[in-house]
Amino acid sequence: MGDVILTMKDIDKSFPGVHALDHVNFEVKRGEVHALMGENGAGKSTLMKVLTGIYTKDSGSITFEGKEVEFHNTREAQDAGIVIVHQELNMLGHLTVAQNIFIGREFKKGIRIDDKKMNEEAAKLFEKLHIDIDPAETMSNLTVGKQQMCEIAKAISHEAKVIIFDEPSAALTEAEIEELFKIIRDLRQQQLGIVYISHRMDEIKVITDRVTVMRDGGYVGTLITDECTKDDIINMMVGRVIYEDPKTESAVPKDAPVVLKVEHLNAGKMVQDVSFELRKGEILGFSGLMGAGRTETARAIFGADPKTSGDIYIDGKKVEINNPQDAVKCGIGYLSEDRKRFGIVVQKSVAENSTMASMENFVKGLFINKSKENKVAQEYVDSLATKTPGVDQLVVNLSGGNQQKVVIAKWLIRNCDILIFDEPTRGIDVGAKNEIYKLMNRLAEEGKSIIMISSEMTEILRMSDRIIVMCEGRKTGEIDISEASQEIIMNMATREI
Amino acid sequence: MEKIKQNPIVKKIGINRIVLCGVLVLMYAIFSMLSDKFVGVQRIMSALNYAYFLGFLSLGVTFVIATGGIDFSIGPVMFCSALISGYCLTSYGVPLAASLLISVLVGFLFGVFNGYFVAYWTVPPFIISMASMNIAKGLASVFTKTQSVSWPQSADANGWYRSFVKAGNFPVGLVILLVFAVICSIVLNQTKAGRYILSLGSNKEAVRLSGVNVKKWEMLAYIICGILVGIAAIFYVAAYTTVQPGYGDTYNNEAIAGCVMGGTSMAGGLASISGTIIGVFIIALLQEGILALGFSKDYQLIITGIIVIVAVYADVVTRRRKN
Repeated sequence: MGDVILTMKDIDKSFPGVHALDHVNFEVKRGEVHALMGENGAGKSTLMKVLTGIYTKDSGSITFEGKEVEFHNTREAQDAGIVIVHQELNMLGHLTVAQNIFIGREFKKGIRIDDKKMNEEAAKLFEKLHIDIDPAETMSNLTVGKQQMCEIAKAISHEAKVIIFDEPSAALTEAEIEELFKIIRDLRQQQLGIVYISHRMDEIKVITDRVTVMRDGGYVGTLITDECTKDDIINMMVGRVIYEDPKTESAVPKDAPVVLKVEHLNAGKMVQDVSFELRKGEILGFSGLMGAGRTETARAIFGADPKTSGDIYIDGKKVEINNPQDAVKCGIGYLSEDRKRFGIVVQKSVAENSTMASMENFVKGLFINKSKENKVAQEYVDSLATKTPGVDQLVVNLSGGNQQKVVIAKWLIRNCDILIFDEPTRGIDVGAKNEIYKLMNRLAEEGKSIIMISSEMTEILRMSDRIIVMCEGRKTGEIDISEASQEIIMNMATREI
Repeated sequence: MEKIKQNPIVKKIGINRIVLCGVLVLMYAIFSMLSDKFVGVQRIMSALNYAYFLGFLSLGVTFVIATGGIDFSIGPVMFCSALISGYCLTSYGVPLAASLLISVLVGFLFGVFNGYFVAYWTVPPFIISMASMNIAKGLASVFTKTQSVSWPQSADANGWYRSFVKAGNFPVGLVILLVFAVICSIVLNQTKAGRYILSLGSNKEAVRLSGVNVKKWEMLAYIICGILVGIAAIFYVAAYTTVQPGYGDTYNNEAIAGCVMGGTSMAGGLASISGTIIGVFIIALLQEGILALGFSKDYQLIITGIIVIVAVYADVVTRRRKN
């Protein structure tokens, strides 16, 4: 590690009603990977937005390369050498890799764009980073992992001195993460300062040198990664100990009735001949790599996307599910991986979202019985411990974990017995995650049957009674929790690759 | 400013609507100062005549915009309704009451047409309503053989329908419009239909995945709009009696302007019936004021155009700030 390249001191920022940053300190050295951790809403993103000029700080100082600076927009920060690689990729799919990297500052030959030169420059960049990508390839043909590497290359091409990675691994496979780490280590070697934001504890241990933890907009402390344990970091983040042991055996009796049976389900390329059974009170984990076809299977069962063939039986009876209406009538609820797009209606209140799937129970004559609606919504806010000022609060104002609870409440109020949870804890902080886990266990004990799709191995091993593994649209394994291990599952998930 | 915004009464009515009411009063004051012709009952009654049919158009399109859609056919469909029903009345001897029903029916059918293609065929509302705008104009011209239609005068045997607008100097139309506004507000805010219409305007896919038949409810919004457009036609002829084929598009802009000015978001999911009504009064007063000051109708077109841009921009800005 070299000298300090960036110091943020006593940064304070308030929004109406919220003290978002309370005298936060943060520094990055040359040749260091510095993790920035904290629950959702702890202020990590706000701090980075202050740094890159998206927000203006109320007080405090930012020193970059020995000079006090203040950026007014990301462009200024970029020009100075501070670049963010966002969680959501900002790439234009129809352009080539090189065109994306040099967008806004294209090389020109007269008035024509000089694609040849851009390809050459991009190739040089990739060589420097040891990345194997063809600059002339169309962006949309690349995997998410490769696209992210292009994003990194783009950052480097701005002569970056500090690079901020905002949850870079969220959409990557294990292999892609390895490759990402290789690049990050390379950048560290080249004496860049790197800020690494992530919820994944394992990665923090592997890749970072120091960890700064934030909580509720405040600075908690900075640790040297090698000298602390996972539990130390988590304790600083939440102020409580979290148990994270895997389940050792199934809680479901062997003779529990089968509530859902799927036979030879086919839907496009991503769902090929999938068959399985779900028992009453069971949490059935669906494991696999990104793009294994798990979400597509869930959507086909739920009728969200058309299926080409296959039979579905509920409680032993064959049912026709052609659209989500049919599925909901059969007692199936689907919690999407992307709750903003598929789960919640942001401009509606907690109560209105909660009753979305069961309106008919809340209609008296022509009118909606709002007092009943509010009462029932309040019951579920209480029983799920949803943090909201009231049931009339718009869900857009809730944090990710609490929005998720509202979607769960929607299906519980509909009294669904089969719940499909697709990545139920994605983008949710550690504390809220734990609450969702407890809730799922409680629901299973109460006799609900749950299909849980998850890309996090620890989550699969901790929650499932039984695990189904998929790979490239096919079911490649089925295993009881008592026999499951990370290695066995990974082996099944990569069987055909 | 923050303090005022937090005041419970202000919060309940909405700062937007309070400002709009202020604008309305201010406009009246300015027009009265600039033109001595502007003061008096006559002008107000004339502005109200304009507000009635425009009000029904605007109420209708509020439902469509709430779903995140748009309807550019409302003006021409209103004329088509008035022409077909009027022609039935004057040339085929259809009784007046039946003719009025025909007017509503024509609006209803266009609503079904637009709604069906938008909801079930997922044709963009912009395209389908442009198409039905032309169909409405053409159909009316064919039906009336390109003749204008004159509905009966007050003194005629069949003139009673004109008292929908006013009886003596009492503004009956205002009462009817406000009653319909209250009904629309109840439908939008207190019924399942309204809940689903607003919700699907905000996030259609989330509502679909909740097991709701979104196509049905989206189509319903267009049908409600169509019916209100049919009623608007009645109030148009009750105020002006004569209708010419081939017109009506300028009212699209004015109705949409009233709607978005009142706080209904073009992006869908947010709608305010009371806002729409105030917005309509502002447009009606504006048109009356411009005429009283001796300018041509062309200036009104320019001003409503600008109003739409400003209102939509304001909506975009507030949305951005919230994110």
